[in-house]
Amino acid sequence: MGIELKDIKKSFGTPPTQVIRGISLNIELGEFVSFVGRSGCGKSTLLYIMSTLDEPTSGQVMIDGKEVTTLEQSELHLFRNLQMGFVFQFHHLLPELSAIENILMPAMKAKRSGERRPYAISLMEEFGLKDRLDHLPSQLSGGEQQRVAIARALVMEPKYLFADEPTGNLDSANGNGVMSLFKRVNKERRMSVIFVTHDTEFSKMATRRIEMSDGLLVS
Amino acid sequence: MLFLALRHLLSRKRQSLLTLVGILLGTAAYIAISGMMLGFQTFIIDQLINNDAHVRISAREDVITEHSLDADFFGQDALVHWLTPPAGRRDNAYILYPRAWTDRMESSPEVSAYAEQMIAQAIVSRAKVSTAARVIGVDPTKQIQVTNIQSYMTKGSFLDIGMSGNRILVGDGLLNKLGATVPETLMLSVGKGVAQSFKVVGSFHLGVKNADDTLIYGALTDIQTLNATPSRVSDIAVRLTNVEDAGSLASSWNILSQEKVQSWDQANEGIMSVFTTQDIVRNSMTISILIVAGFGIYNILSMAVNQKRREIAILRSMGYEAKDIVTLFLAQGLLLGAVGGLVGCLVGYGVCEVMARIPVANRGMGGNHMTIVFFPGIYGRGFLLAFLSAGFASFLPARAAGKLSPIEVIRGENS
Ligand SMILES: Nc1ncnc2c1ncn2[C@@H]1O[C@H](COP(=O)(O)OP(=O)(O)OP(=O)(O)O)[C@@H](O)[C@H]1O
Ligand SMILES: [Mg+2]
Repeated sequence: MGIELKDIKKSFGTPPTQVIRGISLNIELGEFVSFVGRSGCGKSTLLYIMSTLDEPTSGQVMIDGKEVTTLEQSELHLFRNLQMGFVFQFHHLLPELSAIENILMPAMKAKRSGERRPYAISLMEEFGLKDRLDHLPSQLSGGEQQRVAIARALVMEPKYLFADEPTGNLDSANGNGVMSLFKRVNKERRMSVIFVTHDTEFSKMATRRIEMSDGLLVS
Repeated sequence: MLFLALRHLLSRKRQSLLTLVGILLGTAAYIAISGMMLGFQTFIIDQLINNDAHVRISAREDVITEHSLDADFFGQDALVHWLTPPAGRRDNAYILYPRAWTDRMESSPEVSAYAEQMIAQAIVSRAKVSTAARVIGVDPTKQIQVTNIQSYMTKGSFLDIGMSGNRILVGDGLLNKLGATVPETLMLSVGKGVAQSFKVVGSFHLGVKNADDTLIYGALTDIQTLNATPSRVSDIAVRLTNVEDAGSLASSWNILSQEKVQSWDQANEGIMSVFTTQDIVRNSMTISILIVAGFGIYNILSMAVNQKRREIAILRSMGYEAKDIVTLFLAQGLLLGAVGGLVGCLVGYGVCEVMARIPVANRGMGGNHMTIVFFPGIYGRGFLLAFLSAGFASFLPARAAGKLSPIEVIRGENS
């Protein structure tokens, strides 16, 4: 169980330049992992590969014991829909939808929006967004938007939460808020949280800190 | 995805509305123009069918050509060179064996009625005024089953002609030309015969100037006598149960006989070809309007796909599939097409209603208003045109959106 990477390599462009140069790594279910490293060292690239959004040039990605490349497209979609949540540096909320509708978008895909609605509302309450249910993203502050995006990632109660610089666009107060949210869902819901950050303070909040340099693991 | 598509459209109210108006106008124009042109066509066809006959069998006007007499004079195999080639026309044209025809009529299930006619060109005169007229001798009881002439009568009844007795019905235009009124006597003469007096017992207005200015109906025997061709018949007018059979029936009869058999549309080929041109103009105009509207849809959707790249990517990361994204954008185009088409149908209907009230002078039985067709097929086709062109226009942007690779977008945003 968990995520298992075996000798992952990834190159871009012609002539190919290797960005990930052979990384093997195990992340157990329920771990709270941070990735740090210099800009351009390949953190985002690795995160997208282990979260099935991108494919490695060579190597194996196993999630819950299944090799990702052998999965059917539909299985992959189902997997992303039910087992994974993503948070990006930019919130990527749909501007036409209200906060609660945005949060329920993954549930809508699974045709379970009715069933997940109470949970979505409880998430909003938990995140201090109780009276923002029907606000449009443009009517929310940056921190509120990011919290809505996190609630959206959590609404299906996935096993894995991937975040790429979730605090990158926030001030330190809001950033702290997001990090403590991550810590809570990891602790209380035993969710595996895997995030990339530039902030050393935040990276120390993780139970496991992985440093990268130039496409390889340092520690 | 439908609800998201709707939200997308509503978030771009002005663009959506403009596109909608484009589709709406295209559809409405199609319906209004079709209603009007088809109305005009129906009116004309009605006139053509009802004032004449579905199928007309007429004596062949036999023109004598250089070699048409060779066999009679010199036998089958002779090679003849005429110094002065024979020319001219055979004697008065009439149907050789009308009995054979009437028997065929009686036994043909497609035929609902027929009437023998003797048609002659005559000079009609009143005092010092005289003019040319086309005199049709008919059995009135048979004739009214073949055409709707009865309902175009302005004075008297068609049956007033009777079976004999030199009574005639005259087109109102012709009456005017002669300065005559209804109970009056006119003189008719045919080339070789002597002039005879006929009593005008009624008049009609068909709404076709050419007919109203020249036609005279009389009893068959009277006209045969006038023309000095007793018991001869020059034409047989036939009404079919189903007008659509006219063309094929006429063609097959034509092969069987030496008479000329023509259906109403064959006889009016010129007019029919005008209709074809009208149809081409109507369709190409509508299509060009819809192409413009289609480009509108294509443009706003292409723009939307570009603007929404991030959202498409995030939807994909949530587990939405490529086909969901295609649906999202296709649905927007189809929604615009469906709503535009539907409202366009309503607007088109409204315009047709208004046009149907426009008065048009003297159109005989068709009333005094413009003939507009409200055939449901027009509305169905108008809607389908709008819907399909919207579908075509949104197909490419939608497909592009589906092909968008989410990772490329996300990588570009968060590097
Ligand atoms: N599509 C691409 N084509 C070519 N090179 C790419 C592409 N995507 C990433 N790279 C390169 O791969 C390297 C690693 O990129 P990546 O985004 O993983 O870095 P990162 O560690 O996330 O950096 P940052 O901290 O700035 O986000 C960079 O040098 C980048 O230029
Ligand atoms: Mg990065």
